[in-house]
Amino acid sequence: MAAEADQKVVVHVRSTGDAPILKQSKFKISGRDKFLKVIEFLRRQLHQDTLFVYINSAFSPNPDELNFGIDGKLVVNYALSAAWG
Amino acid sequence: MAAAHDEAAAWSEEAARRVWGGAVPLQVHLHDADVTALPPPPPFLTLGPRIGYLPLLIPVIKAHFSNALPPGVDTVWFEYKGLPLKWYVPIGVLFDLLCADPERPWNLIVHFRGYPSEVLSPCEGEDSVKWSYMNSLKEATFIITGNSKSVMNLSQADQVALWESVMKGNLDGYKNVSTRLKLGTFEEDGLVRAASTECQRQQSSDEPESPGSGKPCRVPVRLYVRGVQEELEDIEDAMPVSDWENVSYINRPFEIRKVEGRSYTTLEHALQTLLPEFFRSEPQHAEELGSAAGDLDTTSSQEAEPAGASLREADIAKKAKVKLVRVQGIELGMDIPFLWVANNLKNPEYYLHICVYVGTRKQ
Repeated sequence: MAAEADQKVVVHVRSTGDAPILKQSKFKISGRDKFLKVIEFLRRQLHQDTLFVYINSAFSPNPDELNFGIDGKLVVNYALSAAWG
Repeated sequence: MAAAHDEAAAWSEEAARRVWGGAVPLQVHLHDADVTALPPPPPFLTLGPRIGYLPLLIPVIKAHFSNALPPGVDTVWFEYKGLPLKWYVPIGVLFDLLCADPERPWNLIVHFRGYPSEVLSPCEGEDSVKWSYMNSLKEATFIITGNSKSVMNLSQADQVALWESVMKGNLDGYKNVSTRLKLGTFEEDGLVRAASTECQRQQSSDEPESPGSGKPCRVPVRLYVRGVQEELEDIEDAMPVSDWENVSYINRPFEIRKVEGRSYTTLEHALQTLLPEFFRSEPQHAEELGSAAGDLDTTSSQEAEPAGASLREADIAKKAKVKLVRVQGIELGMDIPFLWVANNLKNPEYYLHICVYVGTRKQ
């Protein structure tokens, strides 16, 4: 069952706290992918198993959720320790 | 006018009481492999609040089975007809989604060992559920207001009070704190009533509301779309869900847009907007589907090649028909005003959970 397969979401990643900054701060992802994919991508890039990932400096969605952006944009913050409660 | 408003408020109050009071009778059986006593313990009967979560029942369930459990560390999870249940999905939603024919009591199996971590995200009891609830609330708040500040600015004491009210099903306690979130009710003409000038402006022009003029009203929606056999005559005969891959879990905000000549948004219109793939008659872009399917980290067990899968998916999308829409255990008619549903049947994290059964052609 497809969910708006043609919709791409631009993910902006920003480091928070002492997390290293990535060279590539923007990438595109399909709206059909689960948020888990973003988490796994960041884990691979940062060589970190423990990673705290937030959206819009506020909440952590469940890894099962599909990526949705408001106006096609999704701001993802990552940190090595918990930043927002 | 005031009387009509009072009446509507009284109805909403009544609806909230019923949503909060709703519960699913559960009959919980201990999984055979976890039984270490003879005779095996009798099943445990309890009420699962519709807005509650399964891990919150663990303390009472564990107490019931304590004499029959093997020694060691428990990792508790629940199963229905072979399907591990996602713990962060409200109990009422799990029941509406997985029991086509409402089975009462609902027979679940509890496991204390062998957590299926490849299917379920890890759960450490109440803390995990609270964390999941607060994050869903922030997510919903972000959709409604464009930021999550009202939740972030709650004092620690208020956050605790809010969570405890949800956990205990205490509606009055919940209302005390949730008014501080200032999320209001969803309305046709924007989130807040202050948009009345905008209404007048709209009447003078034929243009639909332009972006940026006033706040659009966005409703956070979680959709659970389950495919059933298309030729099914009785929804009760639907095959049980054997894998979460057969349920599309979709989070999508629904934006209320004023359209000339329509007094309100129907549920049908909202679903058409939220799930175009199940209403549209032309097939999806087959290539797009194929490439997306190819991207997924699939194991070698997948036999179908991506091209075949994409064709099939396009076919399903073309053929799919909505068979049943269920919210809070109620089968809803398609003409019901969507905003009434959103305002009165939403869960306490401000998400409206909608279960949709769609008929798909058998392969």
